[in-house]
Amino acid sequence: MTVRDTIVAQFEQVAVEQRRKLARLSDETKLLDSGLDSLSFALIVARLEDALGLDPFDTTDDVKFPTTFGDFVQLYEKHPG
Amino acid sequence: MSSPSSIQHPGAVKVQAGMSRETVEGEIGPSFPIYFDSNGHTLFGWFQGPPAAFLADVGLVICKPFGYEAICAHRSLRAFADAAAALGVPSLRLDYLGTGDSAPIDLEADQVEVWRRDVAAAAAELRRRTGVRRVCLLGVRLGGLLATLATDECGESTPLVLIAPVVSGRRYVRDLRTTRLAALMGMNVSPESPGASSGSMEVSGFTLSAATLAALAQVDLKTRAAPATSSVLLMDGKNMPGAAAWAQQLSELGVRTTYSALPGLIGMIMTPPQSAAIPLEMVATFETWLRDLVSAVPARPNAGYMQSRSAASELMTLRSDGFAHRGDPLTERPMFFGHDSAVFGIVTEPRPGEIRRRAVIMLNAGADVHVGVNGMNVTLARQWASRGYVVLRMDLAGLGDSLKRSGQADNEVFPETALDDMRAALQLVRDRYAVADVTLFGLCSGAYHALRAAAAGLAVSRILMVNPQNYFWKTGMHLDDLQVAEVVRNPAVYRQRLTSRAAWKRLISGKVDIARIAKIYMARPLLAVGSALRDAARWGGVRLRYDLGRELEEIDARGVKIVFVFARDEPGIDLLKIEAGSSLRRLGERCRVRIIDDADHVFSHSGPRATLQDILSEELFARSTAISFAPLPNKVEKELLG
Repeated sequence: MTVRDTIVAQFEQVAVEQRRKLARLSDETKLLDSGLDSLSFALIVARLEDALGLDPFDTTDDVKFPTTFGDFVQLYEKHPG
Repeated sequence: MSSPSSIQHPGAVKVQAGMSRETVEGEIGPSFPIYFDSNGHTLFGWFQGPPAAFLADVGLVICKPFGYEAICAHRSLRAFADAAAALGVPSLRLDYLGTGDSAPIDLEADQVEVWRRDVAAAAAELRRRTGVRRVCLLGVRLGGLLATLATDECGESTPLVLIAPVVSGRRYVRDLRTTRLAALMGMNVSPESPGASSGSMEVSGFTLSAATLAALAQVDLKTRAAPATSSVLLMDGKNMPGAAAWAQQLSELGVRTTYSALPGLIGMIMTPPQSAAIPLEMVATFETWLRDLVSAVPARPNAGYMQSRSAASELMTLRSDGFAHRGDPLTERPMFFGHDSAVFGIVTEPRPGEIRRRAVIMLNAGADVHVGVNGMNVTLARQWASRGYVVLRMDLAGLGDSLKRSGQADNEVFPETALDDMRAALQLVRDRYAVADVTLFGLCSGAYHALRAAAAGLAVSRILMVNPQNYFWKTGMHLDDLQVAEVVRNPAVYRQRLTSRAAWKRLISGKVDIARIAKIYMARPLLAVGSALRDAARWGGVRLRYDLGRELEEIDARGVKIVFVFARDEPGIDLLKIEAGSSLRRLGERCRVRIIDDADHVFSHSGPRATLQDILSEELFARSTAISFAPLPNKVEKELLG
């Protein structure tokens, strides 16, 4: 399973649990329009840490939350891990 | 006035209409608010006693999670209290200092340390009131961490019930930070909270101080000695076994530990209150575990403990130095009211001798408890009371801490009896405080109810409505039904998608809800036609049902001041234009519409929330007394629609 596949699976899983209608995910999909809220993203990030063993937001740097789904995936794919 | 046949505690025990509240309590056990001291500060708590004639020699202190999770979990925590009461176990669920209805906290304080002591104080209070010798602590998320840390002060062998407890403070803070970052997406708001202490962090409208964040970073239960407990029931979320390793570690250290990963956590603490669900499997597991605990100690007659109520202080005196206008202390008074005493509220009373007889009644936002979104109702109530208003923050029957009436749907946001409850609230402030000038204030569904009250002719002077999303609600509708607000909000989105190849692919593959989109497209032109028809009917003197414009004009004609406040992107703005039509132009300044930039629906960021509070205060004070008021921030736009 690729990093992208894992991320997509978590988006879908959390959407189901939170009873939210998930937008179709493409690189251009804005996270704001994904149908998920901030709590959902926190859940996803926590689960991805368990699944992938990394959390790109765990930094003292002034990190911003990605804008699009593509940016989100890249954040994980490019993270040194 | 409708007359419900009976009222029902959320725990599900039914009692008949006409019973006094004392009789109701005889059936379900005493259930009432209390105030108690914790290290010189006053805390609010809710006592739930057992209905049986015998009291177990075990009590339960319920430690809430932090922030938005606590708002979502409110009903579920009541369910745990009810389950305990059914086994003869009295409980006390507390609001930590600076949360819920408790007194304010120093913004620089280490909340973990203060709240840990609050948990210990609650355990002592429960012992004092009931005489139980053992107190069990039940904590959810951060409350689980606090309960664990408090065991040392709560007596030896304090049993623990922990639900998805925070084991690593560092990871918890990181999760909160992610939530906060995600919430700031696309918003032009400062990450710094105005008025907050340096280094603090605001998450979903609730703030942790810098000292708290530093303390949390150092807490890891896995690296500490085992808590002073004889047994632990630890329940994780089914898909989030965050405490499994610690549970294993506790077992190895000789602590009798029962661990389960169960469904229901997300529905309990991460789902908006109107949709939140009680985690039934967790409650059942807790009942089984508690039954074993109770059976290990002999029960004893409970004569005497009921008297603790009459001896209780049911008032809180608040020092007013934390408020905008310093002066005499304020008093907060919880009370049940209404013909069946089903409705609960807390009155913040102005200083003794206040001669201006004015009141604000605050209504639930959705199914949020009476403290309001982000606890805003508490903040505003104390500010406004310090400036002379009597302020009642209430729960409609079936919501928050009010009782549910038989036949009423659970957790109903638009109950048919809302008008009765508001009428009872008006009666209360008039009879008890001789108030002549009453303002109704509500956000979202609360705004809807305020509008309905004024439209129904209830004697109010002003309605302050924030972010209403609907102006009519028909019996039989459900929250999941198509809302008119969605019709207003979504057509542009769907128009964009019509030109998308991907959208057509999804349409062909059956992944698109065609019926729903068709409904949206059909509803929009219908709304426009309806608006034109209503304008024509008004012009011709014909009365139509569901005519918002006519209702607003009639409300205005009775001298009621009408104020709408919206976050910039709220669908309720367009809906107001469509449904009120030409009436808005006729009303002009008499129907005030204020818009706030960079705010979300519940004003979860402190900057826009401060702006909202300024606007509401201006409408209450400057517009009614002609006292000059400081200019509003530049970001605030005042505009008339039409």
